Amino acid sequence: MTREQVFKDLTEIFWDVFDDEDIELTDETTADDIEDWDSLEQINLVVACEKKFNVKFDMKEIQNLKNVGEMVDTILAKVG
Amino acid sequence: MNNYKYEDLKVGMSESFTVTITPEMLDSFKGITGDINPLHNDEDFAKAKGHQGRVAYGMLTASFLSTLAGVYIPGERSLIQQVETKFANPVYIGDELTVKGEIVELVESVQRLELKVVITNQNGKKVLRGKMGILVV
Repeated sequence: MTREQVFKDLTEIFWDVFDDEDIELTDETTADDIEDWDSLEQINLVVACEKKFNVKFDMKEIQNLKNVGEMVDTILAKVG
Repeated sequence: MNNYKYEDLKVGMSESFTVTITPEMLDSFKGITGDINPLHNDEDFAKAKGHQGRVAYGMLTASFLSTLAGVYIPGERSLIQQVETKFANPVYIGDELTVKGEIVELVESVQRLELKVVITNQNGKKVLRGKMGILVV
């Protein structure tokens, strides 16, 4: 799976979770950039990513994620 | 009160309890919410609309989902994150409801359970269907 593909799929997850297809992600996007990205939606994002990419995260990984770029890289490292 | 830890939970586990709807419950709900809609408060109005009597508030029926999670599954460690419900059939005063939840998914990374919930009346008719996302904290 390419980084571009992960990025595209992740964008669709964001659209679905936040019900907003105007969201445009970059590597630098953080929770500060998306109004509704709170702790509840963070959990929903994690759950949606685990289902979509068929991967498992651990709590520490989730807590250490700083932005979308790190999220993409973490997923990519798991799916290969 | 139950006190399941995340490690105790398995997909397929379920819990249920029963509750009978009383006029006092509707009156208390009206007092709390300020919903004075006559469908729930005026017997004649409700009958004129084709019902057998005052219709219980859908959100009153749904409120028992709080008890399901907070007391039964997982119980003390419950933190409800989200609830989706459909009100499938009307509930009336005197109805005996069975509130049931079954774990359909466990997400270890965030210690969350997904609960499929169904509330049925004394005739076995579903009055509410839905799902809940609950953290085990």
